[in-house]
Amino acid sequence: MLEIDNLSAFYGNSRALQNVTLEVADAGFLSVLGRNGVGKTALLRAIVGLMDRTEGSIRLDGEEIAATPTHDRVRHGIGYVPQGRGILPQFTVRENLKLGTFARRDPGHAGVLEDKVFDLFPVLKELLNRRGGNLSGGQQQQLAIARAMLTDPKIVLLDEPTEGIQPNIVEQIEDVIMRLNDEHGITVILVEQDVNFARRASRSFVIIEKGHVAASGPIDTLTDDLVHRHMAV
Amino acid sequence: MQIVFEQVLTGLSIGSILLLAALGLSIIYGTIGVINLAHGEFIMLGAYAAWALKTYVGVSLLPGLVLIFLGVGLFGWLVERILLRRLYQQPLDTILATWGIGVVLQQVIRLTAGGDLRYVELPPSMAGSVSILGVETSAYRIFIFVVAALLFLISWFIIYRTTFGLKLRAVVQDRGVASSFGINADRVYSATFAYGTGLAGLAGAIISPLKSVSPEMGTGYVVDAFMVVVLGGVQSLFGTVISAFSLGEVTGVIAFLQNDTIAKAIVLILIISVIRFRPQGLFVAKVRA
Ligand SMILES: Nc1ncnc2c1ncn2[C@@H]1O[C@H](COP(=O)(O)OP(=O)(O)OP(=O)(O)O)[C@@H](O)[C@H]1O
Ligand SMILES: [Mg+2]
Repeated sequence: MLEIDNLSAFYGNSRALQNVTLEVADAGFLSVLGRNGVGKTALLRAIVGLMDRTEGSIRLDGEEIAATPTHDRVRHGIGYVPQGRGILPQFTVRENLKLGTFARRDPGHAGVLEDKVFDLFPVLKELLNRRGGNLSGGQQQQLAIARAMLTDPKIVLLDEPTEGIQPNIVEQIEDVIMRLNDEHGITVILVEQDVNFARRASRSFVIIEKGHVAASGPIDTLTDDLVHRHMAV
Repeated sequence: MQIVFEQVLTGLSIGSILLLAALGLSIIYGTIGVINLAHGEFIMLGAYAAWALKTYVGVSLLPGLVLIFLGVGLFGWLVERILLRRLYQQPLDTILATWGIGVVLQQVIRLTAGGDLRYVELPPSMAGSVSILGVETSAYRIFIFVVAALLFLISWFIIYRTTFGLKLRAVVQDRGVASSFGINADRVYSATFAYGTGLAGLAGAIISPLKSVSPEMGTGYVVDAFMVVVLGGVQSLFGTVISAFSLGEVTGVIAFLQNDTIAKAIVLILIISVIRFRPQGLFVAKVRA
């Protein structure tokens, strides 16, 4: 269970999030919606601890983590797929995947790559020795999700995972995300521009506008009117 | 033929001293990105440590090397934790701060150990010379070559073949991504800085029997070390090696034809011309960012 209470977050001195309050139940699926530049990425970065400064509270399974440094925080079982994918360009695919294993709650398994990621993304198996920087955008996106999976997370944060990707790969990625939630019981927080996918996959939503929560609730309360008011350009 | 081979050996010897002096600097600059102007003084500390260990404790050079590596490394670790860590956001300030540390170290040594030249004796077992294919070579210079090569291999292994190295390379590429996968970037940087300064200390100790030891000795080495690193290309350990030995050979040949001073000047001009046409240095990794 993730509970965020009155969270504000800053880039330098400029406030990107204002008094955000929300919660996601175990095995929940929250879609974060909103126009460009409203603070969706800032919200995920604040959860991981990558903003310059935050105020307010973030509790994961009852434990306050807002003051914990990022590298310790992610060990509570947070997998992160950043916007722009965050693939390390000089690392091979294998090294990028290994990186995922360092944040495991059970450090005994650091460095072990399991086959489950290759079941989800078979293409990665052929690319193991390729440099991350030399992959296509779609391949990088699959690698980013696979890497987050290897942290063995309780909760995954995905920032626009289908941005700029060809339709059949989008479908595959969407399918994987839903399976993570349904079959593995992993809590998902998804930043998404595609309202249809959000409706199909998630259980709840939050719409951000200018850094604060404009609307939120169970996904069946996400009306066309809300979408029109807060997301149309 | 004989004379050519002799020249090659001289060049290798100069090159291995350059590599020793530059290795720690190259690792620190290539990973943390700190331009460490105190590097020469860390070398100087190593040399004085060798002298002090012998003079006051009676430990001679070779058994003292591990202690010197650990001692100077620990000192570097403290410098990083207490001072440099706070300045990473302001690269210009780190240059000033390390320069300041260098000045302070010189003065502290002058006040405690005195300004006179100190001498460290060659390990007796290596005072002699060895004949390689008919060329008489000092055993100690061969020792330096072997140590430089070993330290390079060990450093390469740590950076490219261990989990620590993987973490270090991850932090270098993207600190945010690395920490969101559980890597403690601060700790990785402290350890790297400590390792780099430990190597500098080791270099100073090993070079000390060949040169006189003085508080100002670091200045020359830091210039040499920077030449090696810039020519080889930042972030390329391999480039550092090639660059050290190329500079060694060129210096050796020119010094043979002319003299040391002219050799230094010509080498500097060569480096400036190379950098003019290849500002990134001779070796860089080619990957799309
Ligand atoms: N590194 C930064 N420094 C300062 N301000 C930033 C930085 N990154 C983003 N911002 C600002 O913070 C605000 C929120 O940005 P954020 O990236 O969270 O938006 P977003 O909702 O994720 O947008 P998008 O849909 O385009 O990804 C924006 O106004 C943006 O201009
Ligand atoms: Mg964003």
